[in-house]
Amino acid sequence: MKTPDRTLALPRDGQATGRPKPSLRARLLLMMAVVGPGIITANVDNDAGGITTYSVAGAHYGYSLLWMLGLVALALIIIQEMSARLGVVTGKGLADLIRERMGIRATLAIVGVLLIANLANTVSEFAGVAASMEIFGISKFISVPIVAVGVWLLIVKGSYKFVERIFLVASALYLTYVVSGIMANPPWAEVLQASVTPTFHFDSNYIIIVVTIIGTTIAPWMQFYQQASIVDKGLRVEDYAYERLDVIIGSVFAVVIAAFITIACAATLFKHGLQIETAKDAALGLGPLAGSNAAALFALGLLNASVFSAAILPLSTAYVVCEALGWEAGVNRNLKEAPVFFGVYTALIVLGAGIILLPIKSLIQAMLASQTLNGVLLPVILIAMLVLINDRELMGDYVNGRIFNIISWAMVVVLIGLTALLVITSVFPNFLT
Amino acid sequence: MHLLSQLLGRPVRGETNVPLGTLDDLVIRMEEGPYPSVTGLVVRAGRRRFFVPANQLRELSGVALLSSARVDLKQFQRREDEVLLGRDVLDHQIIDIAGHRVVRVNDIQITQVDANFRVVGVDTSLKAIVRRAGPRALADRIVGGQIIDWADLHYLAGTAPVRLKVSYDRLAELHPVDLARIVDALSLRESATIVAALDDETVAETLEEVSDSRLADLIEGMDQERAADILEEMDPGVAADVLEDLDDTVAEQLLAKMEPEEAAEIQTVLAYDEDSVGRIMITEIVRVAEGSTVGAALALLRSLDDVPNPLLAVYVVEQDQPETLRGIVRLRSLILADPATPLQELMDEDMPTIHPDAPAEQAARLLAEYNLLALPVIDDEEHLVGVVTVDDALAVLMPEIWQRRSSRMFH
Repeated sequence: MKTPDRTLALPRDGQATGRPKPSLRARLLLMMAVVGPGIITANVDNDAGGITTYSVAGAHYGYSLLWMLGLVALALIIIQEMSARLGVVTGKGLADLIRERMGIRATLAIVGVLLIANLANTVSEFAGVAASMEIFGISKFISVPIVAVGVWLLIVKGSYKFVERIFLVASALYLTYVVSGIMANPPWAEVLQASVTPTFHFDSNYIIIVVTIIGTTIAPWMQFYQQASIVDKGLRVEDYAYERLDVIIGSVFAVVIAAFITIACAATLFKHGLQIETAKDAALGLGPLAGSNAAALFALGLLNASVFSAAILPLSTAYVVCEALGWEAGVNRNLKEAPVFFGVYTALIVLGAGIILLPIKSLIQAMLASQTLNGVLLPVILIAMLVLINDRELMGDYVNGRIFNIISWAMVVVLIGLTALLVITSVFPNFLT
Repeated sequence: MHLLSQLLGRPVRGETNVPLGTLDDLVIRMEEGPYPSVTGLVVRAGRRRFFVPANQLRELSGVALLSSARVDLKQFQRREDEVLLGRDVLDHQIIDIAGHRVVRVNDIQITQVDANFRVVGVDTSLKAIVRRAGPRALADRIVGGQIIDWADLHYLAGTAPVRLKVSYDRLAELHPVDLARIVDALSLRESATIVAALDDETVAETLEEVSDSRLADLIEGMDQERAADILEEMDPGVAADVLEDLDDTVAEQLLAKMEPEEAAEIQTVLAYDEDSVGRIMITEIVRVAEGSTVGAALALLRSLDDVPNPLLAVYVVEQDQPETLRGIVRLRSLILADPATPLQELMDEDMPTIHPDAPAEQAARLLAEYNLLALPVIDDEEHLVGVVTVDDALAVLMPEIWQRRSSRMFH
């Protein structure tokens, strides 16, 4: 042994001897290191399309859809927990697992639909950017290109830690909706009662909004994104308890925000019988009814959510495509090494932003259609996830328990039923009447 | 030549054409030679999957023809070292060693060599995907593809749910930059498996080229004793960068586990700002006392256990004050001169130097302006503390090299 000739930084608190039980501080630190994927993912799903959907739900159906959000939160937790468990146990992304365990045809079908759905979603994010900036009097011809270029540069040139920090801060900005909701001064007793009283109507608009709420809150692409960020963070089975907490906190937070958006619109627009089609209408409608501050906060929230999702969605999609089909991926590659990756990523941003700038009137339909497409794709993804998580060769002792399986399969059946109803009612509008 | 995708699901018949079931999978053993041979078939009949040893296989085209109709119908149970081609190789990631890439197996080529069927290559082309996705009747029309020889592939040990002995010799032979590219492209867990299998020196050289965040994740994820060993092997400047990216407590624990000498060296480097000369300089230099001859200097070099790499020059210092620089003798002059020549006659006394706190970029500029290979670093006390080589400076001047190292994104 050489003798130390210079001073050394020695471990503090005598941690060198054995491995004592981690202190509270150490556990908090570990938790801070693990937290992120769940919260960020849950928030990204309150994107421009989500905000539009919750606004429309509140404006057209008042508080009567609030009861559903509790169930949606439960479903969200169940699904995101499975996605987290898949990532933690296998160390692989969802696209990876689908390709390896389910073969090429299933992979191509899922990736194909996801690509279309995510393009539609990206369009709706840029629509959200355009709408929110227009409320502040800025033309979409200025705002959309700036955000598109900014987002592209942030992801390609920024570092992950930096971007994750920005996203966590941006998550806090969602609280603007809580403030908007409170400023709308809703009758709280009525809100609470509606939240626990289930009601259901068999008309096609109602079913569309129900499926759309599910499709936007539990989006297919989130499963890919969350699992990938867990894998990339290198979380292991030992971190799982913290990751589950991350998932639960994120899911509850996301649904609480959704509830406040619905409440804000119900307390004002629904009460005065105003019909809206977009989140922009909602913000504009809020102005005279709840004060211009409430409207500005609503618009700011929309801008934040849109930019946030416009940054993550195209990237996540590019990773999924390359992962599934075996092309090189990663922002630390150069264009020559990973042409498909950068191609898909750039194309989604360019198309997403470009379509918004075209003089097309039926954009709202396109946005709603993207959410409906999510709802249709979701059961497929869920079935794939359930098959994978019950694969003992893959998951070992971490397969689903019996009760968990019953609940999750029941959920998938309900979702498939709702989706089928949606498809039928859109083909035969008078089917239910 | 057969393609696995066109064999799976095809009928299996016994002697006299008795239908036995359909081909579910092919079993191979990894350890034998560069081209693993098929050791058996997994045949599906209804819900039952049973094993047929390869010595019963007579033909493998369109249908798999067995040499007898007697088979053991016992449910197939995978043994420890068996890999299933369809389940564990097809559609999985594999390392293309020659191309230093990570690719996905879109199809597998099997060929008959004497009595054995052997895996000879994998198809990674888009054509193979189209061939498999389309209807079977059209598959024959899609020919060609991009075949990689099996001998040029490294099968990832973690892919199959069995414990496998996989040789890492070929990977270890790769240039660190190429190996780093592979480590970056794999998932964190798979890259950790590879890092765990290679020796400290190879890992250290490789990790110096890996992206910062992957590097930090790998170091944090491994056993601390091993991490300390690897950091010791690294260039102190790079090791310092790594430690700075880690959690403070972890960094301190690692430093405490390192050899005191190496730890002290890293701490010296850590004292300098990021992007300063102190961070990129190398501290391992050869000092020769004033008054020595060329022969003595060469003898000294040969006697060293640890010769600095790159070795560009020797530094002539004062007899009893090895911190005070007198001049530089380039390796070229040293080799060409007569051994009896005193170093003073060869040494360059009037050369630019730089302060360790100066920006790294300034060192790069001086090196370029004066056409130097190395620049001595002299601190406030007029002590020689290290040199900046043109190698290290190049990385400062070429931002794209740094960009590659900068970071990975979530995916």
